[in-house]
Amino acid sequence: MPLRRLVCRGASLQPPVANMSDTAQRPSFTWLGFRLGARAALVLLPTLLLYGFAFGVMAAAKGLSSLEAVLFSGLVYAGGAQMASLQAWSDPLPLLAICLTTAAMNARYLLMGATLHAWFAPLPAWQSYGSLFAMGDANWAMALRHHRAGFSDAAYLAGTGFSMWFVWIGATFAGQLFGALMGDPQRLGIDFLLAAFFAAVSVTFFRQGGATAVPLVVGVVVAIVVQALVPGPWYMMCGALAGCIAGGLTSVARS
Amino acid sequence: MSLDPEVLVAILLMALTTYLCRAGGFFLMRFVPITPRVEATLRALPIALMGAILGPIAWNGGPAEWVGLLVAIVAMRLSNNEFIAVLLAIATVAGIRAV
Repeated sequence: MPLRRLVCRGASLQPPVANMSDTAQRPSFTWLGFRLGARAALVLLPTLLLYGFAFGVMAAAKGLSSLEAVLFSGLVYAGGAQMASLQAWSDPLPLLAICLTTAAMNARYLLMGATLHAWFAPLPAWQSYGSLFAMGDANWAMALRHHRAGFSDAAYLAGTGFSMWFVWIGATFAGQLFGALMGDPQRLGIDFLLAAFFAAVSVTFFRQGGATAVPLVVGVVVAIVVQALVPGPWYMMCGALAGCIAGGLTSVARS
Repeated sequence: MSLDPEVLVAILLMALTTYLCRAGGFFLMRFVPITPRVEATLRALPIALMGAILGPIAWNGGPAEWVGLLVAIVAMRLSNNEFIAVLLAIATVAGIRAV
C-alpha cells in the first residue's frame, strides 16, 4: 500500500525454490500466524499513518466527506490507486476513467498475486481469496520473506493486512478532518501533493533498475499531446498504456 | 458525514477493480504462465501512469509547479525520504504562489 513500495523492490516474482516441495501440501492457516502477521505489520505504522493522512487531506480538497473518504480507504485499500484516481476526480465523475486509472495503478497486484499461487493454492477458497483482499506492496513482501524463511502459515498475510487496514482507515479519517478544516487547498499547495508524491516516488523507480526511463518518458509525452487534443482525464490512460507497451517492448528487446 | 450516491458507486467500482487485480493474478496462474513480456509490461504500468499524470501538470503549470517538481526530485535524491521531499515541494509551491 505505501507508495514507496509501489513496485516490489527487487523481490523475485518466482515462487521461492526452497519451498517448491510444499506446493502439494496444504499450508497451515492458524490464529497464531494471523496474530504474528498483525504484530509484524506494526513496523509499517509510521508510513501508513502519513500516507493515509495525506490521502485524507487530498480527499477533503476534492470535496469528499469523512464518510466517503473512510469508505474509499476501507474498500479500495490501495494507496497509489486512491491518490491517482483523485487526480481524475471531477463533476460529474468520470467513472470509466477512474476505474481504468485504478486498474493501471494496481496492475502490479496481478504479478504479486501470481507469486503467491504456489503457497496459497492448496488452501480453501475463502482463505486464499480472503487473504488476497489484504495484499498490499509492503505486506506482500513481508509475507514472502516470512515464507522463504521457512514459515508456511498462510494466515500471516491476512494478519498483516488486518492491522494495516485499521491504521489506514484511521489515518484517512484524521487527514480528511484536518483537510476540511484547513480551507483553500490551492493557497497551501495541497493540490500539488499528488504531483510531489509521484515525482519523489518516480526517483525511487530509477534506483530499482529495469525499464523505467522509457515508460516514464513515453507516458509524459503521450499524456501532454492527448490532453491538448482530447478533453477529460483520458490523457492519463493513453499515456499509461503507451508507456507500458513501450516499456514491455523495449525490455524484451534488450533481454 | 454526507454520502453522495455517485461517489459511492465510484468507490464500489474502484474496490471491485482493485480486488480483481489482487485476485486475478492468483486465479490466472492456474491457466496461463506469465511471460517475461507480460511481466515487463505490467511492471512498467505504474511509472508510465505517474509520467502521464506529471507531464500535463508540468506542461500546464507555471514557475511554482516547475520549481516544485524540481524540489521534489532533488530533495528525494538527496534525502531518500518522500516525506521530506513532498513537504519541501509543497512549501515551495505555496511560497511561490504567495509571492
